[in-house]
Amino acid sequence: MSAREPLIVQREVKPLDFLAAGETASEFKELLKSLGIPTDICRRASIVTYEAEMNTVIHGGGGVMSLRLEDDAIIIVAEDQGPGIADLEKAMQEGYSTAPDFVREMGFGAGMGLPNIKKYSDKLEIDTRVGEGTTLRAYIFIKGQREE
Amino acid sequence: MSHGIKINKEACKGCVNCIKTCPTEAMRVIDGKVRIMEERCIGCGECLRSCRHRALSLKENDWDFLSSKRSLAVVVDPALCFQFPWRPYPDVLSQVLRNMGFDPIFKDAALAFDLTALAEARLLDGNSDKRGPMISTYCPAVVRLIQMKFQELIKNLSPVENPLEICIDLWRAKHVKHNVPAALVAPCPARVAMVEDPVGRDASSADYVISVTRMAREILTNSRSVEHLEDSARGSNSRWVRWASLGGETAHIKEFAEKPVRSLTVSGMRNVIDLFQELELGRLKGIDFIEARACNFGCIGGIANVESRFIAHQKLKMLASSAPTDEEKLLLDELYETGIWKLQEEIMPVEQAPLGMDLAKAMEKLEELHSVYAELPHLDCGTCGRPTCRVMAEDIVKGSGSIEDCIFRVRERIAELSEEIHVLSKKLIHTMTPEGENEDKRDM
Repeated sequence: MSAREPLIVQREVKPLDFLAAGETASEFKELLKSLGIPTDICRRASIVTYEAEMNTVIHGGGGVMSLRLEDDAIIIVAEDQGPGIADLEKAMQEGYSTAPDFVREMGFGAGMGLPNIKKYSDKLEIDTRVGEGTTLRAYIFIKGQREE
Repeated sequence: MSHGIKINKEACKGCVNCIKTCPTEAMRVIDGKVRIMEERCIGCGECLRSCRHRALSLKENDWDFLSSKRSLAVVVDPALCFQFPWRPYPDVLSQVLRNMGFDPIFKDAALAFDLTALAEARLLDGNSDKRGPMISTYCPAVVRLIQMKFQELIKNLSPVENPLEICIDLWRAKHVKHNVPAALVAPCPARVAMVEDPVGRDASSADYVISVTRMAREILTNSRSVEHLEDSARGSNSRWVRWASLGGETAHIKEFAEKPVRSLTVSGMRNVIDLFQELELGRLKGIDFIEARACNFGCIGGIANVESRFIAHQKLKMLASSAPTDEEKLLLDELYETGIWKLQEEIMPVEQAPLGMDLAKAMEKLEELHSVYAELPHLDCGTCGRPTCRVMAEDIVKGSGSIEDCIFRVRERIAELSEEIHVLSKKLIHTMTPEGENEDKRDM
């Protein structure tokens, strides 16, 4: 189900490369702006991108981030071949984190990643298999403005 | 939008050094000369720093024209106080300017900066964590950067007018001198742009601009001795002068705030941009006030200063400012109630034109952009007159540029062509004999 919609851009994510995450987020934001997408949506997309990429960086062992476009939605896709999420329900809770200590010492892994992605997107699909990897698809609808 | 920069076309060599330092990619070299895209320039002055040919300077008014005026009020950016061999107390400078025949707006400046700090302190006292930090609007380059690149932060900009504007308003109201023109002494292009094309108000109160460079030079040649002049903390209020250096505004606000202010001060374009990126991602929590300045060290780091920013920073330590007296506080309260400190107009985003009229068209253009970009060498050499290959691709799909502007592409084309010529030269017309072949064979 990964390559249905037109691709805007795709970026490879290296494992444990914390600095690059902010860059992808602002690149995606600038791209959406150049397409004439409203700034509020650009910002939400940027936050979702950042959090999803951080998850890929910390847990997924790297992967691929892509920005896709449907008729009425932008889709941020994060794919990795990492360990998968064992307990998705728990992972969606604020403050729950399986990040290793050294990651937390750097100020990341506060257990807000997935909750934030859910908060800033309109639809969220997570396909995860333990030992195989995770594909996250976050939709933000372009029309039908939504209050945060 | 005005950018406050003057280009000296004779001096410009078209060397592309400046276009690569521009944080908003607002510069191009066309026909051998640099060009600034007004709609993208924030007036930060980074390009002036990188120009070795003195082709870029502040767009100021002519000195002879200004000094020939019968009367001229002068309001100075606090940075001017740090340009001289004497201590940075404003009283000395005020006296020097008066001796030169100007009407210095100094008492009202002191009042206006106090008022701005007070207004910001009150806003912060009433602020809730939900709104996020308040960002200072004192640096015009920072305001423009937010309008252009960080539109989601516009709501965080402090709705308080620039004290350099307020002081002229106060002075005019008090002295009924509506017909006396006022000149602002500016340390950077952004301050010039603030006068030419202000944000948050219809027109600036100042009529003219003089660069700190020019004013400092005139002062230094005109006033040899200032020893008899008062330069101590005993003189009038010098709190406002601290705004010239990073942290000065925050310190001033803290004197008026009732609640503790959790502040962050940041200077230099690179730092400011990084900070705003993190703010937009919602990563910075627990901050009430952000003092951001485009120049390192704050306004004393502005490109038009004469004194070194390091020495200016050291001089700040000579300045002992007293806290506001009860009498001053009463007057400030009164002024606060008049609302003269409020920004008159809402700050609006400056939108960049999208690639296409609608989403489908824009997507088409973006795909085209990606394929053009793929053909470029990705060296960002600047030889095409654009800061990066990416910007080049953008310009091409927007219709202002061709792939032949790229010397690497042209080189490849020449190689292809010469290859073709070579192949052609080997082709024979059927009446000729191929080299090395036997004539006898042909007869058979």
